[in-house]
Amino acid sequence: MLEKFQAYLKERLSITDEQAQEATSCLKSKSFKKGTILLSPGDLRSENYFINDGLLRYFSIDEKGKEHILQFAPENWMISDRNSSVFNEPSVFFIDAIENTEVLIVPNHFFADIQKLLPHILELNILMLHNSIRFMQKRINMLLSATAEERYLDFIKLYPNLTLRVPQWMIASYLGITPESLSRVRKDLAKKHFK
Amino acid sequence: MPTLKKVAAILNPPAPHMVGDGFRVHNFFPSGHKIKMDPFYLLDYNAKIEFSPTNKLRGVGVHPHRGFETVTIAYHGAVAHHDSAGNSGVIYPGDVQWMTAASGILHKEYHEEEFSKKGGLFQMVQLWVNLPAKDKMSTPKYQALPNEGMSKYNLPNGNGVVEIIAGEYNGTKGSASTFTPIELYNLKLQAGAKVSLNTPANYNTAMIVIEGAIIVNGTEKASVNQMVHFAHEGTDIAIEASENSVVLFLSGEPINEPIAQYGPFLMNKPEELQQAIEDYNTGKFGYLEE
Repeated sequence: MLEKFQAYLKERLSITDEQAQEATSCLKSKSFKKGTILLSPGDLRSENYFINDGLLRYFSIDEKGKEHILQFAPENWMISDRNSSVFNEPSVFFIDAIENTEVLIVPNHFFADIQKLLPHILELNILMLHNSIRFMQKRINMLLSATAEERYLDFIKLYPNLTLRVPQWMIASYLGITPESLSRVRKDLAKKHFK
Repeated sequence: MPTLKKVAAILNPPAPHMVGDGFRVHNFFPSGHKIKMDPFYLLDYNAKIEFSPTNKLRGVGVHPHRGFETVTIAYHGAVAHHDSAGNSGVIYPGDVQWMTAASGILHKEYHEEEFSKKGGLFQMVQLWVNLPAKDKMSTPKYQALPNEGMSKYNLPNGNGVVEIIAGEYNGTKGSASTFTPIELYNLKLQAGAKVSLNTPANYNTAMIVIEGAIIVNGTEKASVNQMVHFAHEGTDIAIEASENSVVLFLSGEPINEPIAQYGPFLMNKPEELQQAIEDYNTGKFGYLEE
């Protein structure tokens, strides 16, 4: 239950097994059935989810009822709603479980709490934050300027196995293209590469 | 001297789950029961259930396979199949479809339209038959084995029939060609019928009681929806039908190679799975319309 998050920390900080175990001993896991909504607009959450097993989706629904997927979070990803977790303002997004999912609940204060034990944890947290900003910058740029095929090729690099785990329309929603357009991209790639 | 093949266990069907919205299956292995069945990797059994009439086609949308064969055996209902190699067909009760995914294929499986509209009883088996490493990347192929053309051996005294899907029974060769030695039969038995089978001791062997009830080797009772799993001891199997029964018999020579599996891919090494995912994502499996 804690092993994956301990491995995650050990990969990023030079710490011992004992330190990783002590640092994470207070964390609790929680399981959600496929389809469970973990966060809805209006909710306040002061926690992050680290995915042990399964798949979460971070999305909004517009006035016409259309879903827009901002992020998928498979195993070893961390997901949080900053609006509520950092700014204490009601969320405007949803998080739901696309598969049966087990998460580790990482409270916001976790990073401050274990500072004494793991002096470099705050640096890591800042690095993760920068990484997340970098990811968003790239994502905005792709949405503004890239072709459907470029977006798809970038997607399969980032999330190689999600094409086997989520329906086409969700991938299309993430890419900001129609499912028909995604089909066309895949058909064109098959024309180029199928022998 | 031939000896009776020892029954290892009589297994109940594990709790069912849905595959897409068209197949309510009990996975006998590898998830449900941890039994050694190499060269058979997976067996999903859709026990007999009633589907209500619908205008929507229930089933499983386009998905890939690589590294093995899928064998679909129909008992009730009808399934329509399409694949990226251009094969399509409908499997009706008594028919078998043997699809060699090998280097990679996309396919989809839905309840056939007329069946969907009328609704009714549905009962199927899907088997995944592994391929040896040397054949995993061979060209995909498709064997449609309709019931009327199926190899059959009529049992004496009107006791029923053995439909030989693959392998050989009493000198009658099975309909399908296989990459490794496999025996796969449907035994359709009248109440009271006695049948003997034999299969090498080292083969992995099991039977599912599709209909009715049987007594195996004189003492072991198995009833509908149960699986009889055999040990690697002895070669002969005696079956007596306690009532009119249908039994699926499967037995195969183990391939004994390492297995790496992810979702719809069955390979030998983890890096071959990565390659399969990449090839699927980049269109190397071809294309099939949803």
